[in-house]
Amino acid sequence: MKGSREVITRRDFLKGTACTTLAAAMGFPAELEEKSKGSKRTRVILVRDPDAMDKRGLTDPGVIQRMLDQAVSALLNKEDPLEAWKLLINPTDVVGIKSNEWGPLPTPTEVEQTIKRRILNVGVPEGDMSIDDRGVLRNPIFRRASVLVNACTFRTHHWSGVGGCLKNYIMFVRFPFRYHGDSCANLGAIWKFPKLKGKTRLNVLVVLHPLFHGIGPHHFSSRYTWDYKGILVGTDPVALDAVGLSLLRAKRIEYFGEDRPLSPPAKHIAIADAKYNVGVSDLRRIELVKLGWKKGSLI
Amino acid sequence: MSELVPLEIHGWRAKGKDTMYSRQSIFDYMNGAGEIYRLYGFRELSVRRFVKAGQPDIVLEMFDMGSPEDAFGVLSHGREGQGEDVGIGRDSEYDRGLLFFWKGRFYISIYAVRETSSAKRAVLNIGGIISRAIAVQGEKPKLIDYLPTHGLMEESIRYFHNHLSLNLHYFVADENILYLDDRTKAVLARYQHKGAKTYLLLIQYQTPKKAKAALRNFIRAYIPEAKRTGIAQVENGRWSAATVEHVFVIAVFDASTMAHAGTIIKAAMERLETKGP
Repeated sequence: MKGSREVITRRDFLKGTACTTLAAAMGFPAELEEKSKGSKRTRVILVRDPDAMDKRGLTDPGVIQRMLDQAVSALLNKEDPLEAWKLLINPTDVVGIKSNEWGPLPTPTEVEQTIKRRILNVGVPEGDMSIDDRGVLRNPIFRRASVLVNACTFRTHHWSGVGGCLKNYIMFVRFPFRYHGDSCANLGAIWKFPKLKGKTRLNVLVVLHPLFHGIGPHHFSSRYTWDYKGILVGTDPVALDAVGLSLLRAKRIEYFGEDRPLSPPAKHIAIADAKYNVGVSDLRRIELVKLGWKKGSLI
Repeated sequence: MSELVPLEIHGWRAKGKDTMYSRQSIFDYMNGAGEIYRLYGFRELSVRRFVKAGQPDIVLEMFDMGSPEDAFGVLSHGREGQGEDVGIGRDSEYDRGLLFFWKGRFYISIYAVRETSSAKRAVLNIGGIISRAIAVQGEKPKLIDYLPTHGLMEESIRYFHNHLSLNLHYFVADENILYLDDRTKAVLARYQHKGAKTYLLLIQYQTPKKAKAALRNFIRAYIPEAKRTGIAQVENGRWSAATVEHVFVIAVFDASTMAHAGTIIKAAMERLETKGP
């Protein structure tokens, strides 16, 4: 219901007069028709393998290599993964691999090393490549990078709803807290910084062992993780986060027995689409290609 | 913290000195998660890491929240009630290596990076030592006493102050239509009624004038059709209602029937009459 100051209320979402993708992210019914934004579709690859991790949770480097090769090949319609990587990166590029070191669920080393190996295979010298998270602003490779590869683990987050591709770039901001307002609603703006815009050629969203709910000061308990053994790959960070969000929603419904909305809602994903045009958040405009293990895929 | 907890417990020894974080520097420790604490009266965080060969590290965190109310508040922010109450401090929960509770003006978290039987014993022991060392029990926010008890889902109670917190738990509006700020006290709780869940929001303002102004603005922005009655059916078929009583605004969301919305409002008003200030 709009008041005199154009306030957006819960009722606007219930009526469907507010952005539908945002409504879905906030846990409101999503069957409402969204205004058409054109027919552009974006592709996201989900690859899963039951052998990605063993019973102790240790990741198998060979399986991770195979999964990422399959995913990147499928994403770019190339049989040879190296040929696919060559469409993303040139030997003359300087490449920063933006990782994430968050304690309980960091970007797995095996994922980082697989990406690095393929970039080396393309012909980029090791000295023109770096893996970093918190030090990206001071890292000389990142400062002169022509290409970025974004690799992080997907999880719920008690300030932004979820932590995924979009949020992983907050370390490119000198004062990250400036983007904390309104549950990190404007994370998409970071992707439009001149130093970052257009540089990210690939996003790798790790859903090997995602966190679907959090408790305690660090929003983490192993109770709320599960062995999904998957990796999402794409060029569109918004689409990857949107697919990841749908996965967490499905898992939460399965676990809690009800559609329990994230608190806070992960509205930065829809806002990155609607306000900043960083990518596509509407699942109807995302082509999800599923490879490998199908059991318990949830989406 | 150094005065409260020994440097060695069950063979786990403190690694390095305790690290302190202020309202400004908390982001250095926990990034955006620090915002949760800043929504309350958070003053200082002390962190100590314990190490033992062949065992997982144990991390102890003591958040000085400035008041018992806010120590409870920050605990209520994220609890689910799925952990085990181990009787340490107040409202303790233990689950898979993580123990948290509040006592006095402190919110305490102790977690083993990986749970082992030895680590669990150490975590519980550290918790017990700290709890005993904090002499003051601390009282929960009085506002909680005003919640009607019939159908109340205890684990759903959230205590907070401002508009951002409200929207984290239950999105009402993008603007601060209830005029919440750091001085208002608010509690949101869910009620089970015939399989449906209804929300009750109870807000305490500093003056009756502020409470009345907040109610007027809420009705104007959220349920303008309820200008006279204070109750309206919204787009999902559920009912919302609001009223003011002295310095309190009482609002109901998602009631399954008009009668149920009225019942909860009435019950809250009766609680205020019998237990209120």
